[in-house]
Amino acid sequence: MSGHDSKYFSTTKKGEIPELKEELNSQYKDKRKDAVKKVIAAMTVGKDVSSLFTDVVNCMQTENLELKKLVYLYLINYAKSQPDLAILAVNTFVKDSQDPNPLIRALAVRTMGCIRVDKITEYLCDPLQRCLKDDDPYVRKTAAICVAKLYDINAELVEDRGFLESLKDLISDNNPMVVANAVAALAEIQENSNSPVFEITSHTLSKLLTALNECTEWGQVFILDALSRYKAADARDAENIVERVTPRLQHANCAVVLSAVKMILQQMELITSTDVVRNLCKKMAPPLVTLLSAEPEIQYVALRNINLIVQRRPTILAHEIKVFFCKYNDPIYVKMEKLEIMIKLASDRNIDQVLLEFKEYATEVDVDFVRKAVRAIGRCAIKLERAAERCISVLLELIKIKVNYVVQEAIIVIKDIFRRYPNTYESIIATLCESLDTLDEPEAKASMIWIIGEYAERIDNADELLESFLESFPEEPAQVQLQLLTATVKLFLKKPTEGPQQMIQVVLNNATVETDNPDLRDRAYIYWRLLSTDPEAAKDVVLAEKPVISDDSNQLDSTLLDELLANIATLSSVYHKPPETFVTRVKATAQRTEDDDYPEGSETGYSESSSHAADGVASPPTSSSGVPYSGARQPAPAPPAPAPPAPVPDLLGDLIGLDNNAIVPIDQPVAPSGPPLPVLLPASSGQGLQICAQLTRQDGQIFYSLLFENGSQIPLDGFMIQFNKNTFGLAAAGPLQVPPLQPGASARALLPMVMFQNMSQGPPSSLLQVAVKNNQQPVSYFNDKIPFQAFFTEDGRMERGSFLETWRSLPDSNEISKDFPDIVVNSMEATLDRLAASNIFFIAKRKHANQDVFYFSAKIPRGVPFLIELTTVIGTPGVKCAIKTPGPEMAPLFFEAIETLIKG
Amino acid sequence: MISQFFVLSQRGDNIVFRDYRGEVQKGSAEIFFRKVKFWKEDGQEEAPPVFNVDGVNYFHVKVVGLLFVATTRVNVSPSLVLELLQRIAHVIKDYLGILNEDSLRKNFVLVYELLDEVIDFGYVQITSTEMLKSYVFNEPIVIDAARLQSLGPASIFMQGGKRMPGTAVTKSVVATEPGGRMREEIFVDIIEKISITFSSSGYILTSEIDGTIQMKSYLSGNPEIRVALNDDLGIGKDGRPTYDYRSSSGSGAVILDDCNFHESVRLDSFDSEKTLSLVPPDGEFTVMNYRMTQEFKPPFRINTLIEEAGALKAEVIIKVRAEFSSSITANTIMVLMPLPKYTSRASFELEPGAVGQTMDFKEANKRLEWGLKKIVGGSEHTLRAKLTFSQESHGNITKESGPVSMTFTIPMYNASRLQVKYLQIAKKSGTYNPYRWVRYVTQANSYVARI
Repeated sequence: MSGHDSKYFSTTKKGEIPELKEELNSQYKDKRKDAVKKVIAAMTVGKDVSSLFTDVVNCMQTENLELKKLVYLYLINYAKSQPDLAILAVNTFVKDSQDPNPLIRALAVRTMGCIRVDKITEYLCDPLQRCLKDDDPYVRKTAAICVAKLYDINAELVEDRGFLESLKDLISDNNPMVVANAVAALAEIQENSNSPVFEITSHTLSKLLTALNECTEWGQVFILDALSRYKAADARDAENIVERVTPRLQHANCAVVLSAVKMILQQMELITSTDVVRNLCKKMAPPLVTLLSAEPEIQYVALRNINLIVQRRPTILAHEIKVFFCKYNDPIYVKMEKLEIMIKLASDRNIDQVLLEFKEYATEVDVDFVRKAVRAIGRCAIKLERAAERCISVLLELIKIKVNYVVQEAIIVIKDIFRRYPNTYESIIATLCESLDTLDEPEAKASMIWIIGEYAERIDNADELLESFLESFPEEPAQVQLQLLTATVKLFLKKPTEGPQQMIQVVLNNATVETDNPDLRDRAYIYWRLLSTDPEAAKDVVLAEKPVISDDSNQLDSTLLDELLANIATLSSVYHKPPETFVTRVKATAQRTEDDDYPEGSETGYSESSSHAADGVASPPTSSSGVPYSGARQPAPAPPAPAPPAPVPDLLGDLIGLDNNAIVPIDQPVAPSGPPLPVLLPASSGQGLQICAQLTRQDGQIFYSLLFENGSQIPLDGFMIQFNKNTFGLAAAGPLQVPPLQPGASARALLPMVMFQNMSQGPPSSLLQVAVKNNQQPVSYFNDKIPFQAFFTEDGRMERGSFLETWRSLPDSNEISKDFPDIVVNSMEATLDRLAASNIFFIAKRKHANQDVFYFSAKIPRGVPFLIELTTVIGTPGVKCAIKTPGPEMAPLFFEAIETLIKG
Repeated sequence: MISQFFVLSQRGDNIVFRDYRGEVQKGSAEIFFRKVKFWKEDGQEEAPPVFNVDGVNYFHVKVVGLLFVATTRVNVSPSLVLELLQRIAHVIKDYLGILNEDSLRKNFVLVYELLDEVIDFGYVQITSTEMLKSYVFNEPIVIDAARLQSLGPASIFMQGGKRMPGTAVTKSVVATEPGGRMREEIFVDIIEKISITFSSSGYILTSEIDGTIQMKSYLSGNPEIRVALNDDLGIGKDGRPTYDYRSSSGSGAVILDDCNFHESVRLDSFDSEKTLSLVPPDGEFTVMNYRMTQEFKPPFRINTLIEEAGALKAEVIIKVRAEFSSSITANTIMVLMPLPKYTSRASFELEPGAVGQTMDFKEANKRLEWGLKKIVGGSEHTLRAKLTFSQESHGNITKESGPVSMTFTIPMYNASRLQVKYLQIAKKSGTYNPYRWVRYVTQANSYVARI
């Protein structure tokens, strides 16, 4: 081959497609190959070359592997959109699967498995059956993976045709790569099946342990991960396994090492001999430490895992704390993890060394890292009683440098140290008070105020100090207000003199009458009542001795830790979350986008969704098979055309007091994506469920775009939604899709809307009241604001002539104007673009004195036009907007919309 | 298993994109790029290599300014994916000779062909360049190497060291040389990265050597190779002899804390003769990684002195002494020292007759930067900097400046004293005598002196 591939990207003057077509049918092999390359090049940059399908497929029958691969690449990409034409390829596929060349046989099976067209899948079975028993290991290993592909398309077919048995036979194959792929395929199938497909018996165990020594590094990981599900019978069994796995710790591939560590840790739980356990711990330490010499990305994964391991078995790395000292060139995400492990490994023996490090870190440049280092010192003080004093003196040294954020962080941890060691270190309070006026972060302020209140009797000028905060009480964040309230009450109870008495009145007044915060108000009323009825009781309550705290921050509870340790060397161990909280491939949420092999493919939303819809028809759900989620394997349907809502039972109606409204079962998944939405139902009022939503206009249609986030502890499903009567009669038009939400999971939904369904009477309002419920929680209500711009239709453009005519035909009483004194238009071009994007169309412009006057038109449904005149001086504040419309009652809403749009 | 693999340029352009399972939505590359770019609003913090957005897990590594990314929806082994991404970069580099945006774009057909053999349905299949040769048929289009930066630690041989042939760095292992037959040669590089922390009194707080023996073979017919290391090499802290202070500098056994090997390495005679035998696969690969915390002689000593000269002035004196043999020259040395935030000005004074040195006070991050082109073993260099402050220092200058850190490269030097005693290539005929290059280089990883 000569020249550069990039020449294929150049275009010619003549029509590209006809020229390619000609070249594809050339009689010269080289020319055809070049042509296919050009086609692939076009495909990768997102051009639609699907019209060449037949011509490309004609090139498939060739002995030239390079050309054949290119054609296959093309097929995988376009077969989905041309299912009927794809059938043309079947014959060649089947023929290729019997080719004397094993590479061609394997290629045929591999490619067929990637084409998710049912008609092709039918033809796949026979070749696959043959290839699973092929003489060549390359073909067998490819066939093994192909079974997993087929299972993903049609699980029933795999079970019916006995492919599972064939796969299991491959576990005993003499080629380790075949074994590894068979294991990988079986493990995946097991994951998605609820019948036992792949059980590891002691027999398979020994076979796999033998294959382990022969496998490629990746195969070793597949096998180790599959074996980690094996439950050893007894301590001896476990010891035997560990003995076979231990040599893997010497592997250069970090993934092999971590998977081996996981396996050993699991078996260790069963081993009773302390000698054996101690010996194993000793063997695991060096390889774990060596992981920290790898690339920073790997180090990060290793550190997250080590964090878990040392929580269960601190002895493994107890003597290795030095390797966790931060290097100055470590990326910040590595440094943060190292700090966490240093705290966990800190002991009376090494604390001096550790403190020296922390002190050094606390003077570095990276603010987040410095804060964490300061906090680390405090946590060590809380953890190690004998070292507490040394830790505190380091903190005081740091405070003296007077770097603002260091001081604030130090004060926060010192508050905790006081809670841990009451009546021990209060002598430092004077030093802390020196920094009082530099505090500007809520948490630091709150901590300092807590300290002042708690030790009011020992601080001579406690009342003055608190008083200095009181002036700004109304502006303080809630956290600080709450502490101020409590501290003032404490001060009053400890020193019931005139000063504090006045202060308490100011505070109580502020915290009851002047506030909107219910927490603050409630607390203030309780204190008030306590103080006014029984001051002694108040003392007992407010000044009661507090329980001593311990350092449990960042310590996982033992059941969670168990689960995470069982998931060492998986993503779960990096996030420190159980798999079910983030794994969304429960088929239900997986939206197939087959046509997506290349960036910016030519298939836009429409062609894609139509192909999905077609596919949905072509492959009926296999719900009878008893396989869970099989129904959800259907691709998500395209958003249906707007239609009046079907009459459905009224479940929520009487709760919001309205009648006959659309209730839409929310059970279909959608792929999460899109811009951030405003929070309308905060988790605090939705019992953990948070809902963000916004009305949007897309492709000429109005949608309600929602984001559900399940912050509660239980899975939520069966979402339903309903809209109250509103000015525009907005109601849901079609199926909206929200999958069952696991705790911590989130899902987006795009709900098509219709107008003029349940119109409310009275003056126009942008209020949209929404009710949402699900099977687990009662109805939640929230209010949304309808953005008027969502109604501007695509056909709102007017000719100059008709604009003038309409303007004249409307009576002057229909003209309304409004000034926006604060708005500045800096670039008219950008503003015009923005308005046009919202279907407000520019018509003309003229100069009037030094001002520019612009004319626009827009239209809302039912053909109500808006004629708009904007007057402004570019770059100077002040925009005047005048409109003339047959619907002047909508003017306030319109002005709101235009203000938002001009501001951008 | 993974769902998608893609390579993005620094600007976020898709250079390569392959979807293996079609279960992650379109636009994942864009979602990923936006997330990484705006991880923290202030742009200060780097995104971790693994994160989850809306149920999709994203993995990435940075290789020569390109982002290699994989996505998945399931609970996979993250180290497997990250290793894989590094490995894919390596394989592509082996094939193309040079890895960058241009070479990827010019060879996109080859790259897709490779990706299809490396991963099937999201499962890793083959990542060895040697094995891939049997299944990949496109030939690389080698792009002009002269003006390009390259990948991997071996690239250090490009700079400075004229004694060393730099071709191995940018040569494709599969493309034939334009001048006809490929030269029979093999490169063995011993690359060590040193991390040291000196306390303010010059005492060594922590020290570590991360070493690797890399091999790149252009030998035809894949003959067996034997690599002999130091006779007295020991492994594991338990293997360390009774503590002998003299052993820390100069002679004595080399004791590694831990090491691991490439899977092609046979260790039959490692324990007895400290010899590795292997049939090197084509392409660049790591024969052995090792780690050592045994005391060793640091190549440089750094001495920093700060003297206050009135309330708003101070003088900083930095001395760097090279403690290695005068036959060795370190190059591209950079000494960095953060100064107090209220430093407003710095003026510099070098020793008389100094050449090839640059000094700078970086206003933005208040950092002193002292660059030296080379330092000959045994020599000492000094920099004096007069600082002016915009506010009084309250005697905290020492606490608010430093630590002093250093980066350097020392060719033909290694601190661990690990050596390749000989490199034996199984002979095909009497006249067969390929070129063997054994090269040593030491670099600073985290070389820090506190003040």
